[in-house]
Amino acid sequence: MKNILIISKKEITRVKSRFTGKSRLIVLSVLALALIVSFFVYKQELVMGQGLYTIGVAPNGPAITDQRFNTISLDRETAIPSLYGKTIDAYVLPNGVMYRGDPRSQYAVSALKKYLEKEEIDRISKEYEIDLAFPLRVKIKDMEAPEFQPNNTTGNPLSSASGIEQDDTFEPTISETGKDISTESEIIDTTNGDIEATDTPAGESSLIPIESECDDEVLRQLEDYHNSNGLPKFEAEFVSDSDIIIPSLMTPPTPLAQVILAFLYVIPIFFVSVFFTSSFIEEKVNRKLIVLLSAPITPLQIILGKMLPYIIYSIIAIITITLILKGSVFLGLAIFIPVMLFILAIYLMVALLYRTFKDQTFFSVLAVWVITGYLVAPAMFSGVSDLSYVSPLTLAVQMYKGESFGLTEYLLSTVPMYLTFGIAVFLGTRIFNEEFLMGFRPLHTKLADAIYLAINRSHLYLSVFFINLALIPIVFMVQFASIVMASNLPMPYALWVLLAVSIIIEEIAKSTAIVVLLKNSVINSKRQILILSFISALGFLIGEKLLLYIALSVVSQSMFTEALFGAGLLIVPFIMHFIATASVCLLTARFGVKYFPAAIIAGSVIHAVYNLYVIGVIG
Amino acid sequence: MKPFLVLLLKELKSIKKEKTILFAILIQFFIASFSSIILIGIMSFYDPTSIGDNTHVTIDVGVVGNNSKTMVGFLEERNLTVKPYDNINNAEEAFQQGEIDTIMSIPPDIDGTVDMTLVLPKADTSKTLILMILNEPLRKYENYFREINGIDLNYDDMEGKPHTTREFLYAVIIPILMLFPGFIAGSIVIDTISEEIESKTLDTLWSAPISLNQILGSKVTAALIMAIFQCILWIILLRFNHFTVHNAVSVLMLSFMIAACISLSAAMVALYFKDRERAQFVFSIILLFVAGCSYLLNPSPFDIITRLASGDHFISTCSIFIYVIPLTILTCIFIIMSKRLIRFKT
Repeated sequence: MKNILIISKKEITRVKSRFTGKSRLIVLSVLALALIVSFFVYKQELVMGQGLYTIGVAPNGPAITDQRFNTISLDRETAIPSLYGKTIDAYVLPNGVMYRGDPRSQYAVSALKKYLEKEEIDRISKEYEIDLAFPLRVKIKDMEAPEFQPNNTTGNPLSSASGIEQDDTFEPTISETGKDISTESEIIDTTNGDIEATDTPAGESSLIPIESECDDEVLRQLEDYHNSNGLPKFEAEFVSDSDIIIPSLMTPPTPLAQVILAFLYVIPIFFVSVFFTSSFIEEKVNRKLIVLLSAPITPLQIILGKMLPYIIYSIIAIITITLILKGSVFLGLAIFIPVMLFILAIYLMVALLYRTFKDQTFFSVLAVWVITGYLVAPAMFSGVSDLSYVSPLTLAVQMYKGESFGLTEYLLSTVPMYLTFGIAVFLGTRIFNEEFLMGFRPLHTKLADAIYLAINRSHLYLSVFFINLALIPIVFMVQFASIVMASNLPMPYALWVLLAVSIIIEEIAKSTAIVVLLKNSVINSKRQILILSFISALGFLIGEKLLLYIALSVVSQSMFTEALFGAGLLIVPFIMHFIATASVCLLTARFGVKYFPAAIIAGSVIHAVYNLYVIGVIG
Repeated sequence: MKPFLVLLLKELKSIKKEKTILFAILIQFFIASFSSIILIGIMSFYDPTSIGDNTHVTIDVGVVGNNSKTMVGFLEERNLTVKPYDNINNAEEAFQQGEIDTIMSIPPDIDGTVDMTLVLPKADTSKTLILMILNEPLRKYENYFREINGIDLNYDDMEGKPHTTREFLYAVIIPILMLFPGFIAGSIVIDTISEEIESKTLDTLWSAPISLNQILGSKVTAALIMAIFQCILWIILLRFNHFTVHNAVSVLMLSFMIAACISLSAAMVALYFKDRERAQFVFSIILLFVAGCSYLLNPSPFDIITRLASGDHFISTCSIFIYVIPLTILTCIFIIMSKRLIRFKT
């Protein structure tokens, strides 16, 4: 412990010494400027796509204040040629809109419709009694139901989005007619021909409004609706779903505010990561590492010592953010400590695996994207899909929505984080030697060397077993990323590609350790290969089933998880894992490490045949 | 000019050798892959009802009540299966057995107001999804009653294609893809310069008959070539996915000028601080500051790219060429200051 503290102290002094004299002044002033500008940006309403649509508005038309619309005041005579010439996307009249049938105009109209609908709701809520303006109130009654199984799924929601957009290459011809035009080649006019029509205030209605118990609820929702500007409020305490729904005031519970809040925790850690990785670089460049390694201090102490200041800094950041946002400090720490450890683990690997400065930048950028993607993408689906629980940010989203989550959800999202940290630190200590850290070799050789160094040669079998067990969370994350990538493809292909990719990943994971041993001539007999394949398959299977056990209790029904993790008896999949791994390793032993990729393909084919049999495609 | 070209080729070769360009492409592929999943995620924030639009799932709706004909029509318009029930008990039984996903109990209206009861599964996820699917028919039903009450909503019969995907693509994704390579270029410039300074190879290179500006210029140019190469790759990739970037040349020119401004500033930061650690840290804060400032501009570079790429007719070339001014100023400062900066002791 003393050694760790000494290293930590040195690390703090090192970073401090970086910013003395003039450079401190410069850094502080740049930081202050950035904060001031960020404040001004925050104060402004965030509008993406300013001026994306160009809209002509009649002189007596409505005022359009949404900045996405670049509005031009036009009379009808000039508007029609402009619409025809595609210089404007739509023309707004007091009681209707004229537009073309081509995609560009159609998209503009759809956006316009959303905006004008809101304006209309505003108008009628001011002009009429609320009973008349909001005549439909939907009371929600919750009831226990069997698992929700949507029928007739014609496409998954993920893959369909990529197919929505079409080119704007369509050439319209225009002729002005009534509103019932269905072909894309004409101007559509929704004004009913009565351009000068104005709204008739209906103050004196013959209906006498009856005070309904729902009226207060309508008023409250109406107020929310006005304040929210259509977007959910940016505040920690989210308004929970109401029991009464007014269809036109209904905004589905999207967790935008919570996801942003949850991501706030990650940013401070990203910002200091450059100091953490640089700490190792400096030691490499200045060859101080050799001195450090000769001192009576273990690699684990060096790594933990260098990490400690950043861990303490992150914990302080987590507590501060939680207190500012008025969340639960205990939950905040429980959720974000694993996240912080996960990020530091990835940066540790970046620092230890890089070869040149440019590598470092690319590894770091890649790390930022991977971490952000892994954490944020699933969290955006919290409340929509149970798969969102793979990310701990989902737990934070739940926390800030004032909703609870169970221990299984907590474990599913955080255990892979803790494990990744453990593995990274373990691997870090094993590869922490001069020859490995200083060498410039191709990346795959470097990774193979790292695995070789991780194996304890006096406990060969035990090492291979644990390597396979430990690889599970990494395989799980890679497979999760592959789900994301596969979702770009149309449905049946997505499933096939996913199946193929996950099989190949599993085969690589199971056989790599053995192949590394083969390459370094630690093992050579067929008997050893078979025993190691057996152990490797066993380690992998145990890890896989453990994960499956946690996953299944959270993610109950998903075709993807079904395909990824399989199911069924334990002995049959074990035999399959064993045969596939043994084939890969024996083939590699026979033809040489150069043919490892070919051997992987062969092993994957065996694995695939088994999977297809289980799914029921064959046999 | 010749030594400059030799150095430039050397830089490009080292990029090729280190396979860094592969990383860059891998990162971009990753963003692209995520874009569709993130698309729906962010779209649901941006426009919550889009989840309903993007869901082709249909559900079975149990309907109870004599007054339900109109609603049934709206439900069927949305391609939902409607199953009528005589009373709520039968419907609830069917719900519990999983025959229907939701129950709508519609009482007769009292003076134009209807208090409908909607039975939904307790589970959060299915509840949200069903509500979003029912959103559109419910709104139509609401408008139906408004009409009965003598309230006429304007603009309610407009149709159009769901715009959120396109809006998100042009307003967020394309600007990010066009500016991101510029940020990376800045980082690479810092890396190559600080690496040469830290390993003391810059001095050796400088002693050859090459000026410092030529050495640094070759590094900046190499990074810019990579940046623009990535932008072009993106435009081609988007084309393959049937997304057109209009005014591609103007978009590329703007991306190039911004990348050049970033790279020149990054080079000066690296020359001043001389080590990667500080330079990268300060660079990232400066980037944050500049990004914030440019957001306050009207139109911001982000918006210009959005409008150019979506084929806006009202964006003038003037708004692109205005970026020649900061670029020229930065280039002049860079040429004049480079020697002084490198001799500066920090």
